[in-house]
Amino acid sequence: MNTSIYLVGLNHRTANVDIRERFALANQCSQQLWAIPCSETIRENIILSTCNRVEIVASGTEETVEELLKTWAMARNAPVEELRPYVYTYAHDEAIRHLFLVASSLDSMVVGEPQILGQLKKAYKQAAAAKKTGPILNRLLHKAFSVAKRVRTETQVASNAVSISYAAVELAKRIFGDMAKHKAMLIGAGEMAELAARHLLHFGIQELFVANRTLSRAQALAEEFSAHAIPFESIKETLPKVDIIITSTGSTDPIIRARNIAGVLRERKNRPMFFIDIAVPRDVDPDVNAIDNVYLYDIDDLKEIVEENLSGRQDEARKAQKIVTDEVSNYLSWLKSLEVQPTIVELIARQERIVREEMEHSLRHWDAANRAQGAKENLSTAELQSLLEPMLKAIVHKINHEPLMYLKGENTHLGQIERINTIRSVFGLK
Amino acid sequence: MISHALTTWIILLFLLAATLIGLGGLLTRKNTLQTTGCVSAAIAFLLQTASFFLGFHKSFQGGLSAGAYLQIVAWFTTLAGLFFWLKLRQRTALTFAAPLCAALFAMSLPYLEQTILLPQTLRSSFYVLHIGFLFTSLALMAVAFIASSLFLFLERRIKSKQRIKGFMQDMPALSVFDSINKVCILACFPLYTIGILSGLLRSKPVYGATLSGDPKEIVSLIIWALLAFVFHNRLAASWTGKKPALTMICIFLLSLFSLLVVNTLMPSHHSFMGN
Repeated sequence: MNTSIYLVGLNHRTANVDIRERFALANQCSQQLWAIPCSETIRENIILSTCNRVEIVASGTEETVEELLKTWAMARNAPVEELRPYVYTYAHDEAIRHLFLVASSLDSMVVGEPQILGQLKKAYKQAAAAKKTGPILNRLLHKAFSVAKRVRTETQVASNAVSISYAAVELAKRIFGDMAKHKAMLIGAGEMAELAARHLLHFGIQELFVANRTLSRAQALAEEFSAHAIPFESIKETLPKVDIIITSTGSTDPIIRARNIAGVLRERKNRPMFFIDIAVPRDVDPDVNAIDNVYLYDIDDLKEIVEENLSGRQDEARKAQKIVTDEVSNYLSWLKSLEVQPTIVELIARQERIVREEMEHSLRHWDAANRAQGAKENLSTAELQSLLEPMLKAIVHKINHEPLMYLKGENTHLGQIERINTIRSVFGLK
Repeated sequence: MISHALTTWIILLFLLAATLIGLGGLLTRKNTLQTTGCVSAAIAFLLQTASFFLGFHKSFQGGLSAGAYLQIVAWFTTLAGLFFWLKLRQRTALTFAAPLCAALFAMSLPYLEQTILLPQTLRSSFYVLHIGFLFTSLALMAVAFIASSLFLFLERRIKSKQRIKGFMQDMPALSVFDSINKVCILACFPLYTIGILSGLLRSKPVYGATLSGDPKEIVSLIIWALLAFVFHNRLAASWTGKKPALTMICIFLLSLFSLLVVNTLMPSHHSFMGN
């Protein structure tokens, strides 16, 4: 059997966004075209198409790669030569390895980001629904999902925040724990502050206030976040009510000064406050951080955390590569076992047939001898046959144990083809 | 009657296992290990409880030994740790209580046979009340000490913008440590007050004066005053965070000094060495 696994694709490293858009498949294909039609060359396939990558994984023969490229280019109404410069191709263990790296988010633009696994699962679901996957890809994709899970559990590749807004919210969780008991205020409407507010809402913040110099802008944001819009002048009165304050105004002078915070804290009965200052120039007086129960992080502090986390993820990614290497070899063992499967089935079937023929032959003689002697039978021939058959099958399996071990390559250094040929000639299989 | 030396060794082994496995789990960020550590501490607690029922106290003629007192403090400390683990789902308190209890057990070994003979006048239910309340509050102080130390450690890192990495990422939020501290203070002060009051009331008929100037009495009253101060400030002045944490650390260290130094080295009618 010459079936192997192939992968063709392009990603953020090999193609810019224009090219990725030009050759994207997911949104261009109809529901039926979530996978390429199967043929003699392409036996199974799935398409993974995201904003950062388009990849097709297939099982098939040596011509599979060319066939995939042609079909892909055709689907996007482009000559294959236009597509070829941006495409990478992997075969056999390299293809398996690449898929495992993608599933584990080790090949992503931001290593460890969680979306890719969901996208791969969706792609697989669609391909399976379109009946474009078979035993090899089914097993491969399930393995890829389990490798991704193992990487996440055994390494810290996805554990630290790699965006400024998320890093800020993680810090807030470190101070306050359960977000559902706390309130936040957004001062200004920068993109990062909005993103941080989104994360806070995701973690179930109890209440959110939005203040902006332009009240209508605050109201629009408040509506989007199901929050309360407040006039910019009401910030002072709202401060005692909120635990987390995210500022991102364009003000050139600080809008929150250390000298004002002592009174606010008294009013709050010393409950902690966390200021996240994403503005440049800064909105919060740096001296605020010196006050007990008040924490202040500005954009530089958060950037530093993100950079450290990113470098930490790279270190963890190296550990994860080892897991991927182990799992590739596990999958390859399974794949190889598929190649000896037909010989095993044929060997057992042939020997069972021989044994059955011999048993039937002997039973005929036994039956004839009994009749000639006029002996009274305790068991009919059919009953005797049903008793003997399982026993003979068990004998066949036991006798074949060693040959099967040899065939599977255990305790031998011979190549697979040599082993198969030896067994076939010794046991007279065609 | 059971062999208290054997019991001590068995319980100590479980507490050491809880310490190694629990702290190992914390440092390597393995939840299963941390839980196993807590389970080991729970087994140690159950064994110690069983030894009480099997007549541990009866193995000492006329009173408990200094070692036995330390073991009872460890029992209360594990109990407090178990409470935070099982009721508030916070393993950290028990993970850190285990080494403290293991240390108390190890320290108890040389003093295990040194029986403190109680005067006949003190052999009454008052004594159980006095010791029971004081030891429970001491255990709460121990848990508050652990929570406060971890609070200050984490708070310092957040304030100084140092990276929270490794096992620190699995630590509970500052607010959780502060809540543990608060619960301990609120429970500890009334218990300690009852313990002290019962001692003072009993002191008059036994020693002829409510306050006899005994070093243990003086240190205990200082501890009580500090507890009253932090109790008042937590409730009335809304103390949170660093200040109550620092105060509870001082209170626990002073209590440890009282137990390990005053009770062993100073002439006192509370002395573990006998009068």
